[in-house]
Amino acid sequence: MKTLSFYIILLFIVSLLAGCVQTNILDKVGLVTLVGYDVGTEEKISTTAVVREVNPEFQSNVQVITTENKTSKGNRMKTNRKLSKKIMVGQMRVILLSEELAKDNIHHYIETNLENATVSNSLYLAVVEGQMAPLLEYKYNNIEDVGQHIYRLLQQNIEQEHMISSTLHEIAHDMYMAGDDIAMPIIKKDEELVGIAGIALFKEDKMVGRLSAEDSFFVKLIRDNFKSGIYETVLQKDNVPSDLLKNKPNEISLAFDAIRSKRDIKLVNPTTPEFDLNLKVKAQILEIVPDVNMDDPKKVAKLEKAISKNLTSDIIRIIDYGKSIESDVFGFGEKYRSSVRGSNLTKEKWHELYKNMKVNVKVDFVIMRNGVFE
Amino acid sequence: MDNSVQLKPNDMFNTYLLFFVIHSAQIGVGVQGFQRIVYQDAKHDAWISVILAGVATHIVAFCMIKTLEVYGSNDLYGIQQDIYGKWIGNFLNAIYIFYCSIAFFSVLRNYIEVIQAWLFPGISTWFLSATLLLITIYAFTGGLRVIVGISFFSVVLALWIFPMLIFPMKFATLDSLYPILEANVRSLLKGAYSMTFTILGFEIINVIYPFIKDKKKTSKYTHLALLATTFIYLSVMMVSIGYYSEGKLLRTVWATLTLFSFISFPFMERFEFVAVCFWMLIILPNLCLYLWAAYRGVIRLVNISGTKFVWIFSFIIFLATLIVGSRTQINMVNNQVAKVGFYIVFVYPILLYMLTILKKKFTAKKEQTNENT
Amino acid sequence: MKIQLPFTKSKKRTTVVKETIKKDIGMITPLKNEFIQSIKDATHNPADLMIKNISPNLTLVYIDNLVNDVTLNNHILASLQDKPIDTPETIKASLSIPEINISARFEVVVTAIVNGSVLLHVEGFSEVILASIPKQESRSLTTPENESQVIGAQIGFNENLSTNVSLVRRYIISPDLCNENFVLGNRTNTSVAILYINGIANEQMINTLRQRITDLDIDALIDSAVLAEMIDDNSISPFPQMLLTERPDRFCDGLLNGKLGVLVDGSSMAIICPQSFIEFFQSQEDKNLRWQIATFARLLRFSAILLSVFLTPIYVGALTFHYEVIPLAFLVPLSESRALVPFPPVFEALLLEFIIELLREAGARLPTKIGQTIGIVGGIVIGTAAVQAGITSNILLIFVALSALASFTTPSYMMGNVIRYIRFPIIILAGFWGYYGIMLAFCFILIHLLRQTSLGAPYLSPFYPPRLKGMADSIIRLPLPLTTKRPDITRPTDQEKYNKEPVNPKNS
Repeated sequence: MKTLSFYIILLFIVSLLAGCVQTNILDKVGLVTLVGYDVGTEEKISTTAVVREVNPEFQSNVQVITTENKTSKGNRMKTNRKLSKKIMVGQMRVILLSEELAKDNIHHYIETNLENATVSNSLYLAVVEGQMAPLLEYKYNNIEDVGQHIYRLLQQNIEQEHMISSTLHEIAHDMYMAGDDIAMPIIKKDEELVGIAGIALFKEDKMVGRLSAEDSFFVKLIRDNFKSGIYETVLQKDNVPSDLLKNKPNEISLAFDAIRSKRDIKLVNPTTPEFDLNLKVKAQILEIVPDVNMDDPKKVAKLEKAISKNLTSDIIRIIDYGKSIESDVFGFGEKYRSSVRGSNLTKEKWHELYKNMKVNVKVDFVIMRNGVFE
Repeated sequence: MDNSVQLKPNDMFNTYLLFFVIHSAQIGVGVQGFQRIVYQDAKHDAWISVILAGVATHIVAFCMIKTLEVYGSNDLYGIQQDIYGKWIGNFLNAIYIFYCSIAFFSVLRNYIEVIQAWLFPGISTWFLSATLLLITIYAFTGGLRVIVGISFFSVVLALWIFPMLIFPMKFATLDSLYPILEANVRSLLKGAYSMTFTILGFEIINVIYPFIKDKKKTSKYTHLALLATTFIYLSVMMVSIGYYSEGKLLRTVWATLTLFSFISFPFMERFEFVAVCFWMLIILPNLCLYLWAAYRGVIRLVNISGTKFVWIFSFIIFLATLIVGSRTQINMVNNQVAKVGFYIVFVYPILLYMLTILKKKFTAKKEQTNENT
Repeated sequence: MKIQLPFTKSKKRTTVVKETIKKDIGMITPLKNEFIQSIKDATHNPADLMIKNISPNLTLVYIDNLVNDVTLNNHILASLQDKPIDTPETIKASLSIPEINISARFEVVVTAIVNGSVLLHVEGFSEVILASIPKQESRSLTTPENESQVIGAQIGFNENLSTNVSLVRRYIISPDLCNENFVLGNRTNTSVAILYINGIANEQMINTLRQRITDLDIDALIDSAVLAEMIDDNSISPFPQMLLTERPDRFCDGLLNGKLGVLVDGSSMAIICPQSFIEFFQSQEDKNLRWQIATFARLLRFSAILLSVFLTPIYVGALTFHYEVIPLAFLVPLSESRALVPFPPVFEALLLEFIIELLREAGARLPTKIGQTIGIVGGIVIGTAAVQAGITSNILLIFVALSALASFTTPSYMMGNVIRYIRFPIIILAGFWGYYGIMLAFCFILIHLLRQTSLGAPYLSPFYPPRLKGMADSIIRLPLPLTTKRPDITRPTDQEKYNKEPVNPKNS
């Protein structure tokens, strides 16, 4: 009978013999919260890392270190040589890519991070307008930790559905998908602030165009479903229905929140290809200037129609822009692949088809309610 | 030849526990990364391959149970001795024992590889192998009652992982599954064949059969367990296809674990780190059951005590884990296990069933003629 | 599974015992002086041996500290005073005490005198009257200090066997309540009683328990806790397999569920067996409360136990190896609180756990009044000072205090101890191999628990072998109409507890 104590002793002996796993004690490592890649001046890659360290004197401080090397791993070693603590990437939250780099090729930077098991799949990616180092190395008045700040900035905007989501998983998903292209937010330094400046559109792994931050609403509308978004628009005089108000105003400003949208793409004709894009949008009016009497169902219907028309023209504009730069961030290609049997779609093949794609947009806008005060 | 297994009622276990035994024997290291292998052949129709593989297990399990029912209370080892005679029977038994050992080894080595890849790149293989083997030995020396108990707890305590699939489902699109049946039958079958390594384990029924209390209900619980396994594989596969894009899935080694990477709670992020550790409980029944199956075979060949056997066995496996070091070697072992497993588990039982029926008819006729004369 | 213990009867020792008994067998002399001398020799002439001559040929011999003085004066001395000395039979008839015997065997006489009997020897007769009037030294019945509860009986066992048995008999007024007596210990001759209810308790289990107790060959038995360890299925395991309780209501509830109880003279803790692992975490109070409230209390207790065992190891594992799993919101406070700490997290955690255990141990050893002060002052002073000195982080302090607090919610003190001490190896494992180490410990404990039995019944019952209703009733407290059957672990002869139908009769 082998007794329990025997096993305990054995386990302990084994444990004492082999107690040599490398530790990563939280306060003994420097945690990289953000990494920015840029094109180097001398060597190939310039990496700027935001490292959070803890030491007894300063409690916690943030260091921004820029290094240049041939590979990103080489940069990591170089950064390590400049710090008192070994750096770990397990808490990395944001990867930034400079515009110049993004226009070249981002494939390598995404792949190297996917391979590393300690890098989270839920970190955010963004493109930086201009140079990387000035954005990160600048001592902002009100921002203590620029890494965490950018993370929160992106997280907040993505969770509030102001911006398309750009987690590493989604970027990789789109990158390896035949009928999809990458889109990610653009970040810009604005005096003492850092802000989102727009959306970068990619063709395969190169950035080919950009849209303004306001247009991200339409991109998301075509790409995704809204659960609770906000949107504001201005109806120009031509678009305003004639009998909505007594004196026809020059323009009507509208703001909506609690937007729920449902997109539905159908492939009508596989040869052209031609798609039907049906969007159902439900929203709540937050603001309307000048005031329109919303008690009248006829007027509401007219207003809804006008907004739909307005939305449609915007969406067509966005899609046309996408077509002109050959970037399918909307996922029409994936719809094509899933609808056409034996398509064997590749990125090249799709981009050829995409140029001549036709989309029939139909927007069905419904005003659910208009707040608590009428 | 009467070599049936004689047991006291105390050594037997209730039939419904067979559900847990078979289910836990099937789910192990394979589920961590089977998507990519199946996807290679069947593309986004991989889920159909999973169903096909599931159906195949049902058919094979049916044959196995029918074969066992002919003999009443006997296991595969005894049946082989009876059908082929002592020498050939024992030779086949040795092959089956070898299969169990190599399957045991493959489960152990794969889990060690996962730990090294995700958690501790620097940890030594021998340490992980030694600790896992010690745990297995401790469970094994407790007897079948403890092994079945571990199977039970492994299933019950791991139940909470399954709902975690909801998290990646948020990022999954239904479009990825369309168009259905784009792959041809050949690639679907090839995909189903690739499932072999993942879906193996239910052959434990061959050995555990005499220990079941109410043998009439065996097939009911076996098929239920197979159904549950197929259901889990199917849902994991469908979520994975929806979650990953084609290129990404093909390059993700442990797709199920990466699936968990997105899950975060207010008190914990990066769920896969916990999942990798928790998987120990899921592979433990695999290890124990294969070890036990090998032991049941060995005592038919040589007279050896359980304790002695388990230490010798563990020592050999321990040495083997040290030899097989790199990822390519591990993949080679996996492929070999899948290949051997395919013939032993999926092809051979049907053959054996036919032989058993023939032999039964033959002996029945013989008896009849004996009576007549 | 039964481990051979050193004190189990071996053949060699039994023969020795028999020889010593043989030597003592002898008859009593009718001569007075010779009789007194022989008693003195047999008891080694103790200082409290009293020899009284009532009349020239009637002698009283007793041990002063063992007999009840009042009874001796009122019922023996008083009634012998004016009576003519006659034969032992007439004296026996004239004494008004219930337990009185006549014996001619010396061996019996010596046993009787150490048990508290008065020997009355009449010159010329080779028989002695044994009037048993032992002094019953016992504390009065008080509240159970170690297992207090709000709703329920406020009475606990004391150190007297007959009081305890009478307490049980008061709860279960039934002729089916069986009481078997054994004497254990070659030197202490301690009375041990097995109690069970005939018709509920499993016959095989009674035999096993009887066998285990009679097989013991020990020289002394001071407390029931020792007995429990000796008759456990696996004495080496840290987990107790039999429950020690000082609550008569819990004891009786066990008996009524088909369990067996063991009472030991001189010990206020009763043994209940078989006991499953999960039952250690149930309090008798759960039965007295409404099922929703009791369910909440039970769930609270279970989460407390999980927390108590795994919280500190998870902290150590996360901070030593798996910094990736820490959410961003915790990252800064955690790392800043550790900024000043010079030790690795394992050492820090072990140190704090050690301090907490030290305080607990000191609190238990010191007299009650000082103990409380030490607890509070020590806790606050050492805790704050340790954080300020930078030896530990204040977040860990919260975790450790929380897990210590949680471990005390276990209703059984014995199991609570195990829960607390089991943490130390897990912390060490977590410090060496992170979550892999914790999982290793978890699997090891699971297998260990699966291997255990309690009086032959599976220790993890009703989880394994699984019984759905039993499982539900042990995690939550099911409403009474759903618990009509006795638990499976006891393999009761009579399964039904009560009629399923109306517990509360419908309004009529």
